[in-house]
Amino acid sequence: MKAKSRRTVLQKRNNLSSWLLSLPTILWLLCFFLIPYLIVIIYSFLTPDIYDVKFEFSLAAYRQVFTGGYLRPFFLSFKLAIYTTLGCLLLGFPVAYYIARANEKLKNTLLIFIIIPFWTNLIIRIFSWRIFLAHSGVLNATLMNMGLISQPLEILRTDLAVVLVMVYVYLPYMILPLYSVLEKLDFTLLNAAMDLGANEVKAFFSITLPLAVEGIFAGTLLVFIPALGAYLIPQLVGNQRSLYVGQVITYKIKNIPRNWPMASALSLTLLLLVALMLLIMYGLYRRHVARRQVS
Amino acid sequence: MKVFSRNWYKGLNLTAFSLVMAFLYIPILILIIFSFNDSRIIAGWQGFTFKYYILLFQNTAIKEAFRNTMMIAMLSTLISTTLGILTALALENKRFSGRKGLLALIYTPLVIPDILMGVSLALLFNFTRVNTGMITVLIAHVTFCISYTVIVVQSRLEGFDHSLVEAAQDLGARPSYIFWKIKFPLMMPGIIAAALLAFTLSIDDFIITFFTSGRGFDTLPIYVEGTIRRGTITTINSLSTLMIAFTLFLVVITKRIRKILVSAL
Repeated sequence: MKAKSRRTVLQKRNNLSSWLLSLPTILWLLCFFLIPYLIVIIYSFLTPDIYDVKFEFSLAAYRQVFTGGYLRPFFLSFKLAIYTTLGCLLLGFPVAYYIARANEKLKNTLLIFIIIPFWTNLIIRIFSWRIFLAHSGVLNATLMNMGLISQPLEILRTDLAVVLVMVYVYLPYMILPLYSVLEKLDFTLLNAAMDLGANEVKAFFSITLPLAVEGIFAGTLLVFIPALGAYLIPQLVGNQRSLYVGQVITYKIKNIPRNWPMASALSLTLLLLVALMLLIMYGLYRRHVARRQVS
Repeated sequence: MKVFSRNWYKGLNLTAFSLVMAFLYIPILILIIFSFNDSRIIAGWQGFTFKYYILLFQNTAIKEAFRNTMMIAMLSTLISTTLGILTALALENKRFSGRKGLLALIYTPLVIPDILMGVSLALLFNFTRVNTGMITVLIAHVTFCISYTVIVVQSRLEGFDHSLVEAAQDLGARPSYIFWKIKFPLMMPGIIAAALLAFTLSIDDFIITFFTSGRGFDTLPIYVEGTIRRGTITTINSLSTLMIAFTLFLVVITKRIRKILVSAL
């Protein structure tokens, strides 16, 4: 009895110290993460002004989001996020697989090679693609010297360039989670399946892929969600004919006349889209786990 | 037959790997090579020069942007790592009544596109009429770094052997002694990893800084984007090369630090 009450006192004290330890972070995130979203919600119902907002209630921003041609940027961003995720998956899977099967010493070196670009400044990596793809850039010069093309290819400032650079930037985010699941994969299973007469394709679809699903989910989370809000890459290698949500939001905030209610309404719609995608992915993941437990 | 086709499979993966490596590195290599190119425009090799490196060191705007970047990175690393350590210690207590809510608060920023944090902070600073500048950028950087530092330190705390702590408790060591002499040194690799991550995230960030920095406070990514937009890009190649060199330096340093720590423990 005495021991028990002593334990509850200790527990209470522990609980209090946990609250005290985490208080600075809780306050920080409350002030600079949660409350700012409340302000976004408030601003989305206000009236725009050239440089600021007027504190007059209005539903105009929402009306415009759903009727004023703002669905196209959402559609484009969604398409871009899908292309980027698929591109990263297709390129990332063989790479992750190759690293996972390499010997221990080589593994670390190869991983560092994947991580270095990931640590290099984003804007520099995007800029390097501008040099590479430009009208009189290195790619065109090389291809023309080799006689493969007679006219420079116009890749920079196209939607293709946007997808290409997006895949380039987000590839490590797909490779690393894929690698961490593939590394745990028992390759003797594969050999056994093939000894029993399964060919590579069959072994891949019945053994490797189901075991890699967790990595695919994690990678998709890390690529798809940020890709929905892309601004910098479309801005630097894309064109002004196809504007993505991130660009439209930024223009409404930065360019004059400003329209902050519009930017807020678009941001909240994007947030809703992200939440929806997370829910769908979570549902799919739960179904996958349930199915695996059955079989 | 089987052996042959298995080699074919392996070869396919090797080919894919090599192609992806080329994809990852060719643009960066070209950038580095062209930073030594004696030509104002990108096309064609006009001869080797250090000219743009000299111009770089004479450029006061770049120097100031560099100073700003480093100052923000160091301060936000310091603050976010401290908050991360405290929070990770709080989360270590599995019976902590606010644990679930706190974890949700920490993980949510990670699954929301960066641009939304930028927009929401921009509106916060507008609503509160705070002048944007160094302080607002610092606040923003700490905000996006916290989640990462908490998670990294926490994973280290969960990973280590608690028998050492228990042994010290059984031998009657004071809690403060246990913390500073046993727990803190064991947490150190996690703390360093968290700090390095916060540092790299901070110097890399464009979008959130873009929304929270006012006119007159440029970090390097903001400066570089501005010059690309204005088309005055002569020094950007050399600046980029130096920044890549700095990245490589960080990679090597982390490996060293990890090695030293491993051998010290």
